[in-house]
Amino acid sequence: MSSGLLLQSIVLGVLLGGLYALLAAGLTLYFGIMRVVMIAHSAFLILAAYLAWYLHVQAGIDPMLSLVLTVPLFFIAGVAMQRLLLARLRPETRTMMSVLVTFAIALLIEGLLSYLFTGTQRRINLAYGAASLELFGARIAVVKLIAFGLAAAALGALYLLLAKTRFGWALRATMQHAEAARLVGIETDKVAAYGFGIGLATAAVGGTALALDSTIYPSLHWHWIGPLMAIIVVGGLGSIPGAAVAAMLLGLAESMLQIPFGTTWAQTVFYIVLFATLAFRPQGFFGGRLAQRF
Amino acid sequence: MGRTTTRRLLVARVARAVGLLALAFVILWFPAAAPNPYILSAAVMVLNYAVLATSWNFVGGFTGYISLGHGALAGLGGYATGLLITKAGFSSFVALATAALVVAALAVPLGFAALRARGASFVIVSIALVLILLLVFQGWASLTGGSRGLVVPRPFPDLLRPEHHEVFYFLFAALLGLVLLSWWLVDRSRFGLGLKAIREDEDKAESLGIPTFAYKLVVFVVSALFTALAGGLYALWFGDLDPVFQFSILSGSYVVLMSLLGGVRHLFGPLLGAVVVGVALEYFKVAYGDTPLHLVASGLLLGVVVMFMPDGVIPTVAGLARRFLHPPEASIREVSAAELEEARR
Repeated sequence: MSSGLLLQSIVLGVLLGGLYALLAAGLTLYFGIMRVVMIAHSAFLILAAYLAWYLHVQAGIDPMLSLVLTVPLFFIAGVAMQRLLLARLRPETRTMMSVLVTFAIALLIEGLLSYLFTGTQRRINLAYGAASLELFGARIAVVKLIAFGLAAAALGALYLLLAKTRFGWALRATMQHAEAARLVGIETDKVAAYGFGIGLATAAVGGTALALDSTIYPSLHWHWIGPLMAIIVVGGLGSIPGAAVAAMLLGLAESMLQIPFGTTWAQTVFYIVLFATLAFRPQGFFGGRLAQRF
Repeated sequence: MGRTTTRRLLVARVARAVGLLALAFVILWFPAAAPNPYILSAAVMVLNYAVLATSWNFVGGFTGYISLGHGALAGLGGYATGLLITKAGFSSFVALATAALVVAALAVPLGFAALRARGASFVIVSIALVLILLLVFQGWASLTGGSRGLVVPRPFPDLLRPEHHEVFYFLFAALLGLVLLSWWLVDRSRFGLGLKAIREDEDKAESLGIPTFAYKLVVFVVSALFTALAGGLYALWFGDLDPVFQFSILSGSYVVLMSLLGGVRHLFGPLLGAVVVGVALEYFKVAYGDTPLHLVASGLLLGVVVMFMPDGVIPTVAGLARRFLHPPEASIREVSAAELEEARR
């Protein structure tokens, strides 16, 4: 293995890990807010990618500009989903039933996408799509850097929102202890709904980043949901920093293992680490009180 | 106990016996009445679904842990059966039994990882199981045939196709009977009571001295055993395995949909759901071909069931009937945590 190839796979791994981290942060938000496992997260990711592709093909809009449309749209969809579906499930069985409801939504999205756009693989052809940078012997496509920048910016914004704003404090309080949060005057229902909207908005950003440099097709979301689920369990359910670290490490591992083993076998690293984590440290590596109970 | 109560119990018992006999009669009489081999093959599919759903219900119904990965356990049973026949030279039904035992043995470490944590991790592991097996069986082409599929030799090579369907119809019916009987026995046992206590409140169950982890693991292995038997029998019947269909989350979700639709707390719930959803699936295939709309239809149905009747058709209808036929009774009966919560409001 040449050092250039090694460096290239490290850089690609970090870039991929950034996208994983953003998406896993969304999943962690849902879980933290109301113990919901959101299977449809990656289906919304693909939906956003399709919207970006469609706007580009039909109107010639740059995928980055489609964010202006998809982010608010997904925020509203997230709030609606929380209010109309997930909040109405019985609290005792909510975790299990949320899996099924969001699974149903994922099927709906996949079915409608393949009905409208067929199963054909789609790709956005950008003027700068083929451009690449040379860094210490590693060739990195510009679109991958843009996608990473998008993911990093969104993750940074999410961090600032949670750490520095009153709404962020309210959201974190709701995640830690909803009843106590209500007692100090936080409107947890509203906060939970907005938190859900923010989670889904991360899928919109991720989808645009995905559309920039990948080929998309309706059933692609199954390839994303497995790794993402593994990441949030390994990181510790409900811990956003844990999810981000796990995403980076596993993204890097996948990218490095692709060289000796090929893409198919490299993906198994997520599941092997998932099984190992659950067998030896079921609460994950950064999980607190929350993770142990679920 | 008053005379009317005794009489009502007697009536209920007679009605149940008559119902059981009628069900057995319909199942055994169907092949003779099937107008063509296609209908018979669709009926074999429905019975296969019924066995899978009832097997799933050992975990889903008793403990409340929802697995989306049982399709993969069936696929594993199918592949193990096929590989034992083609690579190890076992005879068909010896291979089937061995395969089921192998899958049950694999379910022990799997359940160990999946059941250490509570519900959410279990679901995630069940999804991961499907995805990892798909990767392995597609990637390891030298053993499994990869995406080209694996051809499983037929156990009765000299049978014509309709007779072949008929034999497997009865084999599946026998397996269904066995699985239903096992579920019924567990339901009545102390073991079953412990499992149901886990479903209602795992912490309280544990504090009452129920070895919750061991119970969950045992019932998961039993469920995996029956699921693998169904998958292996399917492999012998269908004769051709493709990783994309054997290890699909969709097939696992159909099983969940069937069980929930019928009612997971009832012995015959999954069977009823399998008949409804299985017939609908087969009809959809004939009427609309292979369109992506079956995904939309399945998604809608699953969403409606989960949102509006998570207890299934049988309890919903039985509840309505009870309200009209009998006044409320004040005897000790099984109450779920959810019902208690409702009543407290």
